[in-house]
Amino acid sequence: MIEARDVSVAIAGKRIVTGVDFTARPGEVAAIVGPNGSGKTTFLKALSGELAYTGRVALNGRDLSAMKPAEIATQRAVLPQATTLSFPFTVREVVKLGLVGGHSGVLPGEDARLPERALERVDLDGFAGRFYQELSGGEQQRVQLARVLCQVWAPVLDGKPRYLFLDEPVSSLDIKHQLIIMNIARDFARRGGGVVAILHDLNLTAMFADRIFVMHRGRLAATGSPQDVLSDDLIEKVFDCRLRVGVLPAGNMPFVLPQSAA
Amino acid sequence: MMVDQSIAGPVKGMTGTSEGDRSGRARIVILLLCLGLVTAVLLSLTSGASDASAVNVIGDWLFGTVPDDAALSARDSLIVYDIRLPRVILGMLVGAALAVSGAVMQGLFRNPLADPGLIGVSAGSSLGAVAVIVLGATVLAPVTAWVGTLALPLAAFCGGLATTLVLYQVATRRGQTSVATMLLAGIALAALAMALTGILIFMADDRQLRDLTFWQLGSLGGATWAKIASVGPIIVLALAAMPFLARGLNALALGEATAGHLGIPVQRLKYTAIIGVSAAVGASVAVSGGIGFVGIVVPHLLRLLIGPDNRYLLPASALLGASLLLLADAVARTIVAPAELPIGIVTAIAGAPFFLWILLRKRGVVDL
Repeated sequence: MIEARDVSVAIAGKRIVTGVDFTARPGEVAAIVGPNGSGKTTFLKALSGELAYTGRVALNGRDLSAMKPAEIATQRAVLPQATTLSFPFTVREVVKLGLVGGHSGVLPGEDARLPERALERVDLDGFAGRFYQELSGGEQQRVQLARVLCQVWAPVLDGKPRYLFLDEPVSSLDIKHQLIIMNIARDFARRGGGVVAILHDLNLTAMFADRIFVMHRGRLAATGSPQDVLSDDLIEKVFDCRLRVGVLPAGNMPFVLPQSAA
Repeated sequence: MMVDQSIAGPVKGMTGTSEGDRSGRARIVILLLCLGLVTAVLLSLTSGASDASAVNVIGDWLFGTVPDDAALSARDSLIVYDIRLPRVILGMLVGAALAVSGAVMQGLFRNPLADPGLIGVSAGSSLGAVAVIVLGATVLAPVTAWVGTLALPLAAFCGGLATTLVLYQVATRRGQTSVATMLLAGIALAALAMALTGILIFMADDRQLRDLTFWQLGSLGGATWAKIASVGPIIVLALAAMPFLARGLNALALGEATAGHLGIPVQRLKYTAIIGVSAAVGASVAVSGGIGFVGIVVPHLLRLLIGPDNRYLLPASALLGASLLLLADAVARTIVAPAELPIGIVTAIAGAPFFLWILLRKRGVVDL
């Protein structure tokens, strides 16, 4: 379990996140939603140990600020919004960097094949020999996800659940790959791990999240299941946009929802 | 951000099943580089201004075969053992140190243009070294008396370390290094170090001036066993520490934050790298002056061949750097024989156009 209590983050003297309480349970997908600049990414950076914070964060019962990077890395992996590479690595070499800590959780000897298996999961079969820098933005994002998956391949290790932190994992993907990636996240949770994902698509959020944390101006505006949280009032208050939940478009205007995926 | 797309198309692994895996190719290249280095060493031992026969001397050592003229053999032995051999060893040490330092700095700055010579680290080391040469007998006398023969490499180390630390603070913000800021800050730091060096040179007497001029151009000419004893251990220690940075530097290619997420202790990695590079460059500058471009040419060529994986790039850079510097030294010794060209001129003549070529190929992405 990940428990954050009264977490605040300031960057260069400016408060970005104020007093957030947050819980991510193994077996669940926790989605963080909110408008641009509401502090979602900053909060996730505090959770992943990248930014200094005040308050308390416990990772599987241990105080995050007392843990070493190598130790934290055995219990959670982080997918950033975008990753640029400074040297011409091949896709396989990038994915293999996920194994640098050596706690993928597969049997010894299976590590060597893990990059291929991870690439297959993100629908990049046969991309291992390509250069990362030659790929499209969406393909690069999936390569990074494959790397992240390698780091915590087994959702549970030594009896402890492990976590995927995903910062806008589907932001540059087409709808097919959005569904593939969200299914990977859900599957990771079903097998005993935990997922914390920042999402912008409210439909995908409703479809895959077990619990939603809505952030607004650096604070937590609402928490709960999709049914509880996604209301007309909340959306108007937080996103400053008059939308109505569960209403079909007027006339014969077409609409396509991921929820309809077979 | 710079992109290297020189090798188009997918990378085939050695076995076909491991596409994108260049480790097999890297091992073969490293093996070939070992053979290349042995060849370069033999070539350097057997060539020179004198007609001394290294073949006879080596044969004498190995098999005890004494040639007809014993007196000639004694002279040959002296030339090979006391002049050529220390020069070869020093050349290997300096070449390896400069090439590996270049590769490590490029990994640290996440940028293939970082080079100790280009961004002022060598200039900082020079300042330290010149300070000891000029002021060693007067102002700095208590210090030099205390540390003895280590004064020169130590001063060069401190100069290099100070420059690297300042440069890193200036050019890197939140784990991202700006190419433009790095190069420009390097120019500024080098200019400052050279100005201070200039003041010292202004204070130098005639004998010191002659030493300084030749030393600044870069030369392996004064190689002695004593010099090897003073800087050899520093370079060997720094080189031995670098392979432990390889995995961390690989992860750093994804950015500082992501390297941290993967479990790399990023701060410790950065400072180990900076201290290692300063020690290796400082020691090299102390014995051989300003030999430029080795640190940028060698890792760049190797990345084209075996990719950027530092586990292979660092040892390969050491081997190729050592070989190239021996070859450059061979050119320096023979091209205007019986006089000798400073080796820094040779590496600059070959390296500067190479650097321009890299810039031309990547002009769009460097984008100052």
